[in-house]
Amino acid sequence: MSAIQLRNLTKTFGDFTALKTMDLDIADGEFMALLGPSGCGKSTTMNMIAGMEEPTSGRIMFGKRDMAGVPMGRRGVGFVFQNYAIFTHMTVRQNLAYGPRMRGGAKAEIDRRVGAIGELLQLTALLDRKADRLSVNILQRVAIGRSAIMEPAIFLLDEPLSNVDAAFRAVMRTELKQLQRQFRQTMVYVTHDQLEAMTMADRIAVMDHGVLQQVGTPLEVYNNPANVFVARFIGAPGMNLLHGKPAESDRGLVIDLGPLGITPPLPDELAAYLRGARGDMLYGFRPEQVALAQDGRGLAMPVTFVERIGARTIVHLGQGDGAVKAVFDNDVGLSIGQTAVVAPAASSVRIFDAASGVAMKAG
Amino acid sequence: MGAARAKPALRDEGARLGFRLTLPAQILVLFISAFPLLMQLYISVTDWSPLSGLGWWNAWEMWNSFANYTDLAADARFWSALKRTALVMIVCVPAEFLLGLGLATLFADDFPGKRIFYSILLMPMMVVPAVAGYMFFMLFQSGGPVNDILSAITGTSVTIAWLSEPTLALIAVMIADIWQWTPLMFLILLAGLVGVPEDQIKAATLLGANPWQRFVTIALPKMKTIIIIALAIRVIENFKIFDTLYIMTGGGPGVATETISVYIYKVTTQDLIWGYVAAIALAILIVLSIVAVFAIKRMARARQVAA
Repeated sequence: MSAIQLRNLTKTFGDFTALKTMDLDIADGEFMALLGPSGCGKSTTMNMIAGMEEPTSGRIMFGKRDMAGVPMGRRGVGFVFQNYAIFTHMTVRQNLAYGPRMRGGAKAEIDRRVGAIGELLQLTALLDRKADRLSVNILQRVAIGRSAIMEPAIFLLDEPLSNVDAAFRAVMRTELKQLQRQFRQTMVYVTHDQLEAMTMADRIAVMDHGVLQQVGTPLEVYNNPANVFVARFIGAPGMNLLHGKPAESDRGLVIDLGPLGITPPLPDELAAYLRGARGDMLYGFRPEQVALAQDGRGLAMPVTFVERIGARTIVHLGQGDGAVKAVFDNDVGLSIGQTAVVAPAASSVRIFDAASGVAMKAG
Repeated sequence: MGAARAKPALRDEGARLGFRLTLPAQILVLFISAFPLLMQLYISVTDWSPLSGLGWWNAWEMWNSFANYTDLAADARFWSALKRTALVMIVCVPAEFLLGLGLATLFADDFPGKRIFYSILLMPMMVVPAVAGYMFFMLFQSGGPVNDILSAITGTSVTIAWLSEPTLALIAVMIADIWQWTPLMFLILLAGLVGVPEDQIKAATLLGANPWQRFVTIALPKMKTIIIIALAIRVIENFKIFDTLYIMTGGGPGVATETISVYIYKVTTQDLIWGYVAAIALAILIVLSIVAVFAIKRMARARQVAA
């Protein structure tokens, strides 16, 4: 049974639609990332799950329970704020004990639970410290502990790493993932950073302009983006997309890219699906899955820029609509002005309908 | 002149220039605080008054070996005025604080017509105290609006002589003070309440705290500094209560509403014993300074905790 079900969830602020008929099932114990650029509706979704905002229409179910009208203090969700919202005028112990104390638990029982959670989060030595001068990773642990002590079935995290400097983020990611394994709770994690989503989440829900674009495991959204937005958004750099039309050649079905020439033949399955299709298409391939064609069969394009970033080299090719990027694991010795012949790995090629942006795939 | 010598010379020059530039301000400070204080101290150990025919600087000729201070200790009217002032403060400041806090809590949320009510609420603070005093003088006449309203409520003709009845006069004076100064309390406390971090309030809500618990455990502790400031301002100001009260009752009936300021005023203008006035004023200054120092210390500590 899924822990959270969103059905036709919609939120409008006046004329502005923040979220449009979203359907999403989050499984029990799953780490689900809501990923998208700012303004995509991910925080709105999260706030509605927490009960901080009322949906304009649609339903939110926790298990079999409809959450409509249940106030935010009674939903049994733990919420970790972007800046952690630690009560700075209290000690760590008082922060952890806050929830049970407000519910009127017995003193001895609260002490026992605070001790246990402090132990688990390695906060025991810090329990009597004032919470106003703690380092950010301790703040994160206090924020999680403060919610975890209530034993919520669901944990919501709102961009908890966005205020952390880049070097420290990797440490925090690891720590957060370990904490999730310890608590085994359902976690919904809002972020605009795909690296966080890819490394931590079981599944990612990619959103844009209030519309859910795709839900899948990190590798699914990376390998098989459902549409052009996901293809461009996931990956750094995103997927290359070139305009063209399907055409028959002596070696099989290819995409005619106009001035850029024709692509290498498409894999059989894709070719069979596309044969007979009309109209503009987008020919997509990952920058990481490009090789320099030794036999000269590929796309011949001028090198416009080369970024050498140590382990990898990013080569910019072509211009305008025909611009693509290729990522190589070693320095390929190309320089600006040269012409490179590149061939995308046949298995990595994805075709999108140019008008709708939707991926075209067999099956 | 060599370059090596230029530097220290320049620094001397700078120090001298700085001294010269701040001299007017220093003289001013000397004249507005140190000089009157010393003069007061000087006069307070004499029997001098402007009618004695001596210049105040010659007051030493009337040296009375601290008789003013021994008189003060035995002055029943002084002690009763001091007690009355304390009573007014103990009633008015907490009342203003609680009303102000309640209103601030109300105004922290949105409701229709908030801006208009806000303006109306701040108006009493801007009324000149003397005018406020006259307003309440009129309101509390035995044929005045207060009695009219009471008559309408009870259905009988009420003709209470508010300002001629010792206890009632004191109550009327307190009501006027609360009316005029609750808005200041409200304004300061509202600023404090708005400054409470919203996400901490939300976090408390998500952890199951009800509105009252959120107020007591999050909002109030966060407002500690500003509450101390508001209370300190009102305690000091209320201690000096004068204009409204003087116009309403003139300290009467008898001495029933005579506070320290009114007493000093009367001794100064009616009895003209200035040496004695100086002694009273110094005694009160010491009391108020203790309150102020205490408040500032608490404030500094609260700020340290909050930072």
